[in-house]
Amino acid sequence: MSQILGLAILFLLLNLVAGLWRVARGPTGADRMLAALLFGSTTVAVLLIMAEWMAMPALRSVALLFVMLASIVTIAFFGLPTGDDER
Amino acid sequence: MVISVLIDFLLAAGMVVLALQVVSDKAVLRSIILFVVFGLVMALAWTRLHAPDLALAEAAIGAGVTGALMMMAWRRLLIINPERPADTPLGRSRLAVPVALLSAVLVATIGLTALDVESPTHTAGQVAAEEMTATGLGNPVTGVLLLFRNLDTLLEMAVLLIALLGARAISPPASPEEAAVVETGTPLVGALLAILVPLSILIATHLLLAGTHEPGGAFQAGAVLAAGGVALILSARLKPGERPGIVMQLGVTVGLIAFVAIGVGIMALGETLLVLPGTWAVYLIETAMMVSIGLTLALLFAGAPALVGRRG
Amino acid sequence: MSASEWVAVALLIAGCFFYLAGTIGLLRFGDVHSRLHALTKADNLGLMLVCAALAMLSANWRTAALLVLVWLLGLLAATVSAHLIARHARRGGD
Repeated sequence: MSQILGLAILFLLLNLVAGLWRVARGPTGADRMLAALLFGSTTVAVLLIMAEWMAMPALRSVALLFVMLASIVTIAFFGLPTGDDER
Repeated sequence: MVISVLIDFLLAAGMVVLALQVVSDKAVLRSIILFVVFGLVMALAWTRLHAPDLALAEAAIGAGVTGALMMMAWRRLLIINPERPADTPLGRSRLAVPVALLSAVLVATIGLTALDVESPTHTAGQVAAEEMTATGLGNPVTGVLLLFRNLDTLLEMAVLLIALLGARAISPPASPEEAAVVETGTPLVGALLAILVPLSILIATHLLLAGTHEPGGAFQAGAVLAAGGVALILSARLKPGERPGIVMQLGVTVGLIAFVAIGVGIMALGETLLVLPGTWAVYLIETAMMVSIGLTLALLFAGAPALVGRRG
Repeated sequence: MSASEWVAVALLIAGCFFYLAGTIGLLRFGDVHSRLHALTKADNLGLMLVCAALAMLSANWRTAALLVLVWLLGLLAATVSAHLIARHARRGGD
């Protein structure tokens, strides 16, 4: 079982590496922000699996904090002007 | 155990690449978003190092405060000077490569030396771990912060207060229009706040109470409270005020006051300075610290000496 | 492995599949509004399946309740974030 959980974590982390391409590429600020949110939800899943894998229940609290506070950055992002973000 | 090595390698390599990209990217927004991502990877790295207390702090501060803080700073720069918001020097300094190489050599030397050093048989950590059972605290981090090294913690509270005073001294107060980004009528945001704010108070209280026997504590709890405050400031429910009332003044200082009052007051009973008399004192000081930390971080975010509720 | 462990593994693999689908959507879809679906649909389904798998594995009501809370908060965060990002993108005339 431990092997399977480890493989799932590795798989999700590789997913994150692929998602980085969207942060780098854009083209709009909204795309980059979207990619960051996908990062957030994948990290939450990784933390939850790690809580089981490493037998550290406290990691579920870390996942809870991330998922609870994920929308705050988006609210701040909403206030940015749109348009040319290559500066 | 190949899998765990691969996971750790991915995290370590990811952190280095992200850190380089954050400081070298020319597009400011991309740097900010990569910094948010860096915070996520950092929390995972702390987790792999078996430091859930630090992962909690990273989650609360990174997701709740710093990401939004940088977005707001960038927004303010764009408002002040829409044409050239960030005057970044073009091209890199001639010293960059030599300095980087020297730093790499230094880190490599320290790392290789550390490999040869035998781990000491008697460390302060072991003494602290042996004494921990006598304190009645299950979480060694809280034990060290509040009992064994509490002078450091006390001074950290003082530093936080001085940081707030310093920020107030050098920057003009933010106008209420600059602090909020979402009009009060925006759909869904009200519903989000109705869940997020009560939940942040609940979770902060949980982290505070759990902090004595499992990961958590005043710093994490205060950061979660501050995150709730940041959400309220961003959505115009809390506005920057001009004059701090007695509640605000007491709020930012209560952590320091409670710590000093108990730490010094104990001397009247013939004890040594800062020897806390029991678990109740730990709870009391941590609660006061949580309030001060949460309020101070929220005030630093708002860039104002006080916060007032929306009228009407 | 016991029967419940087999179910948990199946759920976990399904969850990872939907995370992969979300990432592929993020990389391959043509515009911002299509890519929003990757966030709101695929990833939350993936999170639900992963949470369900871990709840099966832990076999503990308190842990299961916490996992359900995490999933519900994930739904809330994705909904609000997707809405705000879509408004931001539309304001930019994209």
